[in-house]
Amino acid sequence: MSIAEMEARELELDPTGGGLWHDAFQRLRRSPAAIVGVVMIAILVFLAIFAPFVAPYSPTEQNLDAIAAGCCPGPSREHLLGVDDLGRDELSRLIYGARYSLLIGVVAVTIGLSMGLLLGAVAGYFRRADSPIMRLMDIMLAIPGFLMAIGIVALFGQGGLLQVMIAIGVVNIPIFTRLMRGSIIAQRDNDYVLAARSVGVPNRKILGSHIVPNAISPVIVAATLALATAIIDAAGLGFLGLGPQDPATPEWGTMLTNTVRYLQTAPFLAIFPGIAIVIAVMGFNLIGDALRETLDPKLRGRT
Amino acid sequence: MLRFAVRRLILLVPILIGLSLLVFIWIRALPGSPAQALLGERATDESIAQVRNQYGLDEPLYEQYWRYLQTVGSGDLGTSIASRRPITEEIQDRFPATVELAISAMLFATLIGIPLGFLAAKRHGGAVDHASLFLSLIGVSIPIFFLALLLKWAFAVELGWLPSVGRQDVLIDAEHPTNFYVLDGIITGNWYASWDAIKHLILPAIALGSIPLAIIARITRASVLDVQNEDYVRTARAKGISSGAVDRRHVLRNAMLPISTIVGLQVGLLLSGAILTETVFAFPGIGTWLQMAIVNRDYPVIQGGVLFVAIIVVLVNLLVDISYGFLNPRIRLAGR
Repeated sequence: MSIAEMEARELELDPTGGGLWHDAFQRLRRSPAAIVGVVMIAILVFLAIFAPFVAPYSPTEQNLDAIAAGCCPGPSREHLLGVDDLGRDELSRLIYGARYSLLIGVVAVTIGLSMGLLLGAVAGYFRRADSPIMRLMDIMLAIPGFLMAIGIVALFGQGGLLQVMIAIGVVNIPIFTRLMRGSIIAQRDNDYVLAARSVGVPNRKILGSHIVPNAISPVIVAATLALATAIIDAAGLGFLGLGPQDPATPEWGTMLTNTVRYLQTAPFLAIFPGIAIVIAVMGFNLIGDALRETLDPKLRGRT
Repeated sequence: MLRFAVRRLILLVPILIGLSLLVFIWIRALPGSPAQALLGERATDESIAQVRNQYGLDEPLYEQYWRYLQTVGSGDLGTSIASRRPITEEIQDRFPATVELAISAMLFATLIGIPLGFLAAKRHGGAVDHASLFLSLIGVSIPIFFLALLLKWAFAVELGWLPSVGRQDVLIDAEHPTNFYVLDGIITGNWYASWDAIKHLILPAIALGSIPLAIIARITRASVLDVQNEDYVRTARAKGISSGAVDRRHVLRNAMLPISTIVGLQVGLLLSGAILTETVFAFPGIGTWLQMAIVNRDYPVIQGGVLFVAIIVVLVNLLVDISYGFLNPRIRLAGR
């Protein structure tokens, strides 16, 4: 057995495999920003799942007595966050709204992520496909993202939950394509890949334990941050009236749309859904930033 | 340097062609035909056929595309269905408004973001640092339209300090030779009109500038922290150069490289944000125009407007690339 083969054998037997994730998790647990972020998102996920049990009213139930004197009475003991212009309980609508924002965010990012990773991997591996794919991405990036999202919703003829998810998903494709391609190309020619190859580590193992873990961590960070942007963009589309078409849907962005008229008499109708959006977005941003710091080896030594 | 710029310009051609193709295909994929949109609900099959023939919509797609390229190439973007005005004319009206808004937003973002990021890095770990981190977290987490609504509610509705909608008070009788209202007031000597236009810009600019402000403060902080520990900075300090001069000549100048790139890259984001900001403040710019066009199915406006906006984004990114080459001596001197 040559020395190289012995080293390769030792590499295979090394018990610290998968240390990256264990390590990252340990670091994450000690980051206050990450904990705050996780708590914020955990609360929202809890509210979204158990909305029927947590919410004091149904999101569509109208309390007409409450708005008999005009729009809109503010927070009271019966309605903790007041009622909207149709007499619906604002708090209950916000709690149910968490379902829509989280769902839109997750589905949209999944669409963008899967398409982007596929295209990026193809562009990174097959040199012939590289140029056409990346030029297409350049073109997509030339159109301001939110404008493109509006355009894609327009393709369907009308707004809606699914339409919003697809639109935001497509807008996210170029981000992940570029990232994945860049990562793969960077890892492909890296010294440690050459080193691993030269000591005889099999290709499969190089890919599995060197290239992919190193290429995937920026993608995970980007996906978390993309969730934040997706929620903002979804709310923006809702605000423009391109969100769910059923006006009874308690989507946060859509809830903000009608409030403009009541800004003088009932500013809380704009403020509460807005704060809900900020909490969701901030939660994902905090987690994303903390993940970036823990997963990026270059930043690890800093703190 | 010139070679670098020319090469970048040549690379633009395929992108522009691809862009026009994408917009062309997209318009044809939209539900409801343009002829239908033009004629409205009472269109008969005959009149639709006539309109299709009149506008060449019954020709093969590649011929339509070729003709489209020719007209666009000659500077004609078509006529709006809603207003019956040439699209180039509408852009002349609307684009200056958005440019004014975007420039004000960037001024706000850089004038606050760079000093904030710099101070945060200088007092790394201190109160300013924590405040700047928190501020930039809020900045990237708050939806533009929500911030815009809050600002409008607080400063226009409740306090009444600033106007809530439009570009200028309708009662002001001002001339508009350039359609840049602030500039127009200065040119025509109508200072009051300029001041009024500025007052209309403040709230939208703050709302639109919030995300770039957060990003610029972050990047400035990170890149000053990076540069501060470079050997040449230590050398400069060791030579006995005053710390102010070291900051100016070595730290800031080198930190400006990533900052300037980031500033340039915000253009697409600014135009995205302009759609929402302009909607909240009923600001008659390119964002509200495009949004209305999509709602009204005004196909020529969408086609011309999206192409125009995309070309602007591509051109600005090119300028950023070139100026980056100019700022970075490693690229600037490479051709010599």
